[in-house]
Amino acid sequence: MTTSSPPTPSAQGASAHRGGNPLALVFELARHRPALLALNVSVWIVVHGSPVLLGLFMKGIFDALSGQGAATASAWTFLALVLSVDMARIGALALGVWVWSSYWAELVSMMRRNLLGYLLTAPGSRRLPDSPSEAISRFRDDVNDIGEYIEHLVDVWGFGLFAVIALAVMFRVDPLMTALICLPLGFTLVFSNLLRPHIRRVRREMREATGRVTDFLGETFNAVQAVQGAGREEAVLAEFERLNVTRRRAALRDSLLAELFKSLNDNMVHVATGVILLLGAGAMGRGTFTVGDFALFVTFLPRLTSTISFMGALMVQHKRTGVAFDRLSDLLGDAGPEVVVADVDLSLRAAMPPFVDARPRAEPLERLRVQALRARHADGSLALDDASFELERGSFTVVTGRVGSGKSTLVRALMGLVPHEGGEIWWNDVLVDDPAAWFVPPRSAYTSQVPRLFSDTLRENVTMGSPGGDAALAAAIRLAVLERDIDVLHGGLDTEVGSRGVRLSGGQVQRSAAARMFMRDAELLVFDDLSSALDVDTERRLWDGLWASRRERIVTCLVVSHRRAALERADRVIVMAGGRIAAAGTLEEVVAESVEMAELWGDTGAEEAEVGGDVGYRVLR
Amino acid sequence: MTPDRTSPPSTTRYGAMLRRYLAPQWRAATALALLLLTSIGLQLLVPQILRRFIDTASAGARGDAVTAAALVADPVWWATGGLIGLALAFLAVALATQVLSAGATYVGAAVGWTATNFLRQDLARHCLALDLGFHKSRTAGEMIERIDGDVTALSDFFSQFSVRVIGGLLLLLGILTVLWIENVFIGLALTLFTVVEIAVLARTREVAVHATQLEREANAKLFGFIEERLAGIEDVRANGGGAHAMHRFLRPVRTFFFDTRRAWVRRSIVWLSTYGLFVLGSLVTLGTSIHLVTIGAITVGTGYMVFQYLLMLQAPIEQITQQMQQLQRAGASIGRVDELFATRSTLATVAGRALPSGPLEVRFEGVRFGYADADPEAAPILDGVDFRLAPGRVLGLLGRTGSGKTTLTRLLFRFYDPSEGVVSIAGVATVDAELGALRACVGMVTQDVQLFQASVRQNLSFFDGTLDDARLLEVLEDVGLGDWFAALPDGLDTHIRAGGGNLSAGEAQLLALARVFLKDPGLVILDEPSSRLDPVTERHLERCVERLLHGRTAIIIAHRLETVERADEVMVLERGRVVEHGGRARLAADPSSRYARLRAAGRGLAGRGLDTNLKELA
Repeated sequence: MTTSSPPTPSAQGASAHRGGNPLALVFELARHRPALLALNVSVWIVVHGSPVLLGLFMKGIFDALSGQGAATASAWTFLALVLSVDMARIGALALGVWVWSSYWAELVSMMRRNLLGYLLTAPGSRRLPDSPSEAISRFRDDVNDIGEYIEHLVDVWGFGLFAVIALAVMFRVDPLMTALICLPLGFTLVFSNLLRPHIRRVRREMREATGRVTDFLGETFNAVQAVQGAGREEAVLAEFERLNVTRRRAALRDSLLAELFKSLNDNMVHVATGVILLLGAGAMGRGTFTVGDFALFVTFLPRLTSTISFMGALMVQHKRTGVAFDRLSDLLGDAGPEVVVADVDLSLRAAMPPFVDARPRAEPLERLRVQALRARHADGSLALDDASFELERGSFTVVTGRVGSGKSTLVRALMGLVPHEGGEIWWNDVLVDDPAAWFVPPRSAYTSQVPRLFSDTLRENVTMGSPGGDAALAAAIRLAVLERDIDVLHGGLDTEVGSRGVRLSGGQVQRSAAARMFMRDAELLVFDDLSSALDVDTERRLWDGLWASRRERIVTCLVVSHRRAALERADRVIVMAGGRIAAAGTLEEVVAESVEMAELWGDTGAEEAEVGGDVGYRVLR
Repeated sequence: MTPDRTSPPSTTRYGAMLRRYLAPQWRAATALALLLLTSIGLQLLVPQILRRFIDTASAGARGDAVTAAALVADPVWWATGGLIGLALAFLAVALATQVLSAGATYVGAAVGWTATNFLRQDLARHCLALDLGFHKSRTAGEMIERIDGDVTALSDFFSQFSVRVIGGLLLLLGILTVLWIENVFIGLALTLFTVVEIAVLARTREVAVHATQLEREANAKLFGFIEERLAGIEDVRANGGGAHAMHRFLRPVRTFFFDTRRAWVRRSIVWLSTYGLFVLGSLVTLGTSIHLVTIGAITVGTGYMVFQYLLMLQAPIEQITQQMQQLQRAGASIGRVDELFATRSTLATVAGRALPSGPLEVRFEGVRFGYADADPEAAPILDGVDFRLAPGRVLGLLGRTGSGKTTLTRLLFRFYDPSEGVVSIAGVATVDAELGALRACVGMVTQDVQLFQASVRQNLSFFDGTLDDARLLEVLEDVGLGDWFAALPDGLDTHIRAGGGNLSAGEAQLLALARVFLKDPGLVILDEPSSRLDPVTERHLERCVERLLHGRTAIIIAHRLETVERADEVMVLERGRVVEHGGRARLAADPSSRYARLRAAGRGLAGRGLDTNLKELA
């Protein structure tokens, strides 16, 4: 992605059909643990190929019994051979389960790691195509689909070997009959091809319906307090039911199509058996077709059928894998599916490797210059236009404006959290090509409007792998005004914060996120509206602490806020209105020059003065 | 909260599950049974046809050199069931079997989906009724896995299981019966084998249930991890936490890897031992047949037919063992589903009393409360709270972080029950009230607005389809979302994107307020909803709140002193105790009151806030 031509949301939508060839992508995966893969293929060749011997030995038994054909040994000898093939097959199956589960679990884990790794660490802006819960259905089902495809590709050699040998043996017995049997089998393959597009479509519909179900569950349980408090459990359940019914319909269409496929294969085999019977009637009369031959043909046929079914399933799975890769690259945004199949070491068996923080040292920020920045909402409407401003080293800049004025979009576009479609960003003398990759620690750190914590200890949430030691942690906690909360929590820093930090209060979550940001030791700190969960007093103490700390280390702050505590500290205020910068300058200047700001400031003053009297605040007008 | 360690579900559990979820679908189930029975009957015919074919053909080979064409022209041959006739009969029967079994599979899937949808619904209903103590410790990803993932694993149990296992068992019985009739010796051998096999199966069945349960838990944890990281993707990325998150990811991945492999291996034990037994069975059967044909007790055709039945036995036994594997998964899922169902809300439900409409009285009497999972040594969150709030009065609640303000309001919703004392609304103790009615008459507005990916109408009405559009529009207009609404492309049907993507925080907040207006409760709890808004929007919101408070009892949790200004009464909480409560005007006039001192402190010290001042007073 370059600054001049970032992908627009519509371009992202158009990327839905660039999954690539599933087979080629899956071959990429073979570079991961090739020896284990080779072992899998060998073992499963034995499992799926050995029935060819069973057929031959069965023929031996019946030829010996009927006294027909050239009986080479007694029926009892053949029975012993059947037994030994079966025993060998059981051994191969036991080994097969072990090696396949090892290989499969590692491959799907690797693909999930690649996906998550790309989403969390790759350059460029990331926008999930849908909610996180919907993304989970891609992480789960689409990756499983690819895994199933690989399973088919491992099995295909054994099935193929069986089919080739079986057909060769049958051809030697009766070429015409074998050829006629092949006809219906070939017809099956042709007909399967006709069904392909439908399979793809139906599968996609089912996936989407499933995504909506899981999504809705996720949202419901994230909002469980609101649902219960509103007493809307039954209404929510009714909606859940509606989504489930839609999914059921899609799933049944899917299974109907699969069943059609299966019947097609099976029926063709019955037709083939009918052919053997019709032709065998004459041949048996002439003595050219023995009871043993009949046993051989009829034993091989179901196996040949399952080979055809298998090939059909392989084609279906090929298609499903195409869909899966499409959906996964859609999830990745600007990357192709080759990212999913990249070979990485998961170090599953070794001791857990230590975390090495490999971030570069930042060039100190002297001046950040933004020119004519422009960005759109996910729906394509213009959210930010022609925004230009500068930040000096050590300055404290507050972006303010009313709701929906674009103040949050301004900092998010700057940091590459939303893609911008025009404008330039200069860090000192460097033109920033990819803001998302650039604006990370130690250059910058960020607290979002609604910060997320993760199910882990508070300490882990704050440090998040930061190399700073206990002293840095203590300093970050002090700066974030979190000290007293930690004293109160009965596990202290080792308290488990629960899913998304639900065991903490909103303010505690917000301040933990601030501590997380301070812990990054960054040049530029970006606060996207801390006030959402902080009371005025706590916010003021936070700014006080930060102000004092700047004596020890110079940081540059970019703050989205509408609170006096922040505005009063500002070296520079940027007033946003309608997605544009309406005014910029010192607080006195913007209040004097901008009607918008005068209105905003006036309101703040009026309201806070009403309580605090005329003593509490500087009167600026 | 947590039930005892789950043991593998008993057979009666499977039965109970089937009865509860399949009984309503008895028609489809009957159709399924008919389809299955007919197809099984037809399948049993096939080897009989083959025997006659072989014996007839062998007889032909021994002498009567007639061409097939001559036979076809001979009506007597047709009547006696000639080779061609047998071949055609075979074709007809085989094709009919196919159609029937395809139909059975489809009907089975339909039944399965319907049944599991019921189960999903029941589970979701049950989980929604659980108290917050349960939900606090679970991620949404985990809930998705437990309500959808586990139940999807069960769908095989409901559909495939009935078709394949019951169908398979019937086919098995049919085959054995035919063999007994044919030859007592062969029938006995195969029956013994089947009995041994089933006995072994019954023993190995439970082998993998626990491992499979661990496998599913590992899955839930893995996807829970991913879901959280994706929900917080911006926090992770902008703070350079990606590499570290990926390092943490290795842990759930490891658990997933080892638990999955163990579960697969455990499950394979079942079907491998079945296969081994089958090899034994074929050894016995083929040996018997070889012996009987050699001594001339049966024909080669009969020997072949027995072999054919043996092959036919393989299919149902393979299916049964394969489904046993499914059954084990289902067993593990049922275990987890049961565990969820067994998790009871700590709120004992009674057929409760109704509540009046209009402004409601609130009363706390000697209320003590501590979270169940908290350190038992720790001081309770609420420690003997007593107060009364008359109907229509507005109470401003002051107190430092952790003083128990939020907990106090949660008791009013009955998210929790007090450990001691009584919380009552309009004279009805919360524990005696009908929970739905109780929550219907309490409304809450917080800073945290929860939106769904659904239409504006659904978000606004909270999925209540009975509200008419005119009322919705009126409320939107009232809260000042009229302009916003006018700009929506599809009006009330406009879809709100994931995480409220196309709404600003202020708009979301106003939408939440609109929800409460629609609900029209007699008691309103405000948890500083305006603090994340800009002053213009905030002022607007305050005006709406003013209207909301009119004619209602209200409790306002104050984070700023000025918030309390609109209250009739002020109450100060400290370490879970009421340290001051009275009329606001009276307290303000009494210079020794905490409230007056807070006000004074607020005036004297610019830039000092409520929490600091409260701390100093304490």
